[in-house]
Amino acid sequence: MQIPANAVVRDRPESLVSRLAARLRHHALWDSLLLFVPPVLACVYTVFFLHRIAIIDEMHFFLVAAVAVALGLLAVTLRMRPRRPSIMSTARLADEKSGAKDHFLTLSTIDPEHCAPSFVARLRAETDDYRGRIEFKRDFPYKPKRSALASIFFSLLFAGIIHWVWPLALPLIRAAIPVPEQLRELSQKMAAAPGLKNLAQELKALAAKLEDPKVPEQEKQAAVQEMEKKIEEQQKKEEQKENRDLLSQAANTLEGTEKQQSASGKDQQKDQQQGAGGIQSNLPQRGEGESKQSQDGSGDSKQERDTQLGQDIQQGKLSQGNPKEPGQEKNQQNQGDDRNKQPDPNQPGKEQSKEKADKNQGGTKEGAGRNQASEEPPQGAPPADRFYKAGEGKDGIKGARYVTVQLPEEVVADTKGERMATKESKGNRVGAKVPVSNMPLPAHVPNAPTEKQQLPMEYRGIIR
Amino acid sequence: MEPEQFQQVFNRLETEVQKVIVGHHDVIRKVLIAFFGGGHVLLEGVPGLGKTLLVKSLSEALGMTFKRIQFTPDLMPSDIVGTEVLAETNGRREFQFKKGPIFAHVVLADEINRATPKTQSAVLEAMEERQVTVFGESHILESPFMVLATQNPIELEGTYPLPEAQLDRFFFKLLVAPPAPAELREILKRTTGTETGDVAKVLPEDGGKLVNEMKHLLRQVMVAPPIEDYVVRLVHATQTDAHNGGPGQASVKQYIRFGSSPRGAQSVILGAKGNALVEGRVHVSYEDVEKVVFPALRHRIILNFQAEAENVSTDQLIVEVLRQVPRN
Repeated sequence: MQIPANAVVRDRPESLVSRLAARLRHHALWDSLLLFVPPVLACVYTVFFLHRIAIIDEMHFFLVAAVAVALGLLAVTLRMRPRRPSIMSTARLADEKSGAKDHFLTLSTIDPEHCAPSFVARLRAETDDYRGRIEFKRDFPYKPKRSALASIFFSLLFAGIIHWVWPLALPLIRAAIPVPEQLRELSQKMAAAPGLKNLAQELKALAAKLEDPKVPEQEKQAAVQEMEKKIEEQQKKEEQKENRDLLSQAANTLEGTEKQQSASGKDQQKDQQQGAGGIQSNLPQRGEGESKQSQDGSGDSKQERDTQLGQDIQQGKLSQGNPKEPGQEKNQQNQGDDRNKQPDPNQPGKEQSKEKADKNQGGTKEGAGRNQASEEPPQGAPPADRFYKAGEGKDGIKGARYVTVQLPEEVVADTKGERMATKESKGNRVGAKVPVSNMPLPAHVPNAPTEKQQLPMEYRGIIR
Repeated sequence: MEPEQFQQVFNRLETEVQKVIVGHHDVIRKVLIAFFGGGHVLLEGVPGLGKTLLVKSLSEALGMTFKRIQFTPDLMPSDIVGTEVLAETNGRREFQFKKGPIFAHVVLADEINRATPKTQSAVLEAMEERQVTVFGESHILESPFMVLATQNPIELEGTYPLPEAQLDRFFFKLLVAPPAPAELREILKRTTGTETGDVAKVLPEDGGKLVNEMKHLLRQVMVAPPIEDYVVRLVHATQTDAHNGGPGQASVKQYIRFGSSPRGAQSVILGAKGNALVEGRVHVSYEDVEKVVFPALRHRIILNFQAEAENVSTDQLIVEVLRQVPRN
């Protein structure tokens, strides 16, 4: 058997399989890296971004970043391990590419000690001829897989969203963080920066002032404006970029604070003008309500009617109250709910003293608005059953049916156009234009039925 | 001996046989591979396809002793292996062993399925042990020794199909197909004219020694472990035992009563080695395996009733096995 001379000089063809296997292992490594590293980097960037805008602190940033990197490495390892090509599969690949009939496979997997040396030498020589047909760069180029490209694309997309969209959403997020807290964090950062220590202390003091409920709003606003001016001045002087960033961040925060302050001040003023409840304290509202009442003097406001109703209840006129009145309905419900909480009849003096105390407080409490009337226990709580007359109860006259009665005074007022809207809007129930009653109305009342009711047939012969 | 010398001798033998036999190149090659692999061949085909002529030509080309046994129902074992006869030598009468036709390098067992099982089994020991025992005395057969049996797939009335044990002893089972029109034309030209092809003797006088060297060389051919593993998986895929095959071979196993024995795997490997040497290689490739897997396994897979009913052949099952069993 003739063995080609070049087979001896050159390195063994098995080495080609080993080198090819190493190359394919690198391919597998790149595949895994390209698949998992972009998401890890995107994650780290997100955490860094959150750290930069002071949503998470430094320790958490390092912790999350370390965990992300560790998980990425683990994923790369776990994915790469089963994809590492074996010598056998690499040899088969080399055979396919070179057109060799399992020469590389046999040479790479046989044990030469158990084979005839002449046969091994011959096989090696034959395989060496096929080796020239393989060129790594041409036959085994690295091509990123679609999964890797998708991973890179989506990671870049995510990072882009974080980078460009997040700052737009940042004010909304910042709004959720209390302003004094933001200022305090900024002051901490500024304290670390050289040349901004004084400003940092002032910011800290401002944060404390903003939190203090005793400080009037106008004073807070003035303090914020003053701080803004100082920061502007400092910004002009500042040369370092980091410090300028900090200062602009502080300026933005203060600007937001100022807007919040002014907005809240306006809201407060509006609330005070309207005399509505809300989160403000009740005391000034009551005063406001009273003053308004005294100013208007018309007596057709709801507060006035509530006051009247309360007085009626106290006088035991509840059974004749207007069922259309929603406030009163609520009061009745509360009364019903509070049946078990009825005043102890064994201690009537105590209840009476309480009522007296309420009375001493005057109409201010009663005119505190409908909300208060419904949320607080009714001022004129109905007396116990034994205090009612025969045929009466908590719900009025027993077995009685309610009718809508338009009092003559209201009719007169309607004709003048004063009460029309009020009547229609009461409890969202539309009042009847024509008075409804089982009693004939006087002739002077408008819209009164002109026709007389016909006499029933059975009485015609009797009554003439 | 070198692989090139093997290839040369092999090709010459092929050429000489093809002087007489038209077509059947694959059959001739497989017969020669089986011969150098040390196995026996069962040739199956309808009468008149040149089975007997092929064997005769092969023996002539080999230049070795050739005997033909026509198997009939009344054939006795002693007619094959020989018997003790009373002979007088120098005035002394003694029993002498008279060798039967089995004592030859190449034995043609023509229409082997026509003999009784008792007679068929007489060949069994000879094929496997390469010796015969007569009256308690063992007699070693010639070396090299090869049995080429033929059987007719039609006219099965009054025949005794070979038992599985005996079938397993054949290295290859080759199907002799009818000649193509061009081949038939050539056959007519050769057999109806005045000129007849003569087979020249290829091997020298001590041809047996050369054949043994060639057989030894064939066994030296290298087989990569993954290819050995492939053969093992192929053979296991034919077995019905649940432990030996995966669920993927269910479509195959539904037609199999008994799968291939280990002898099947041996035949595949040796046949693949022979094929590799013939093609000038010193190592076996997957293609070599796939070329010899059909003759090596087709008579070792015993079909069940369902396969018979659905007219599924063993070759179809082997195709399915090759499709289902991956190379790596």
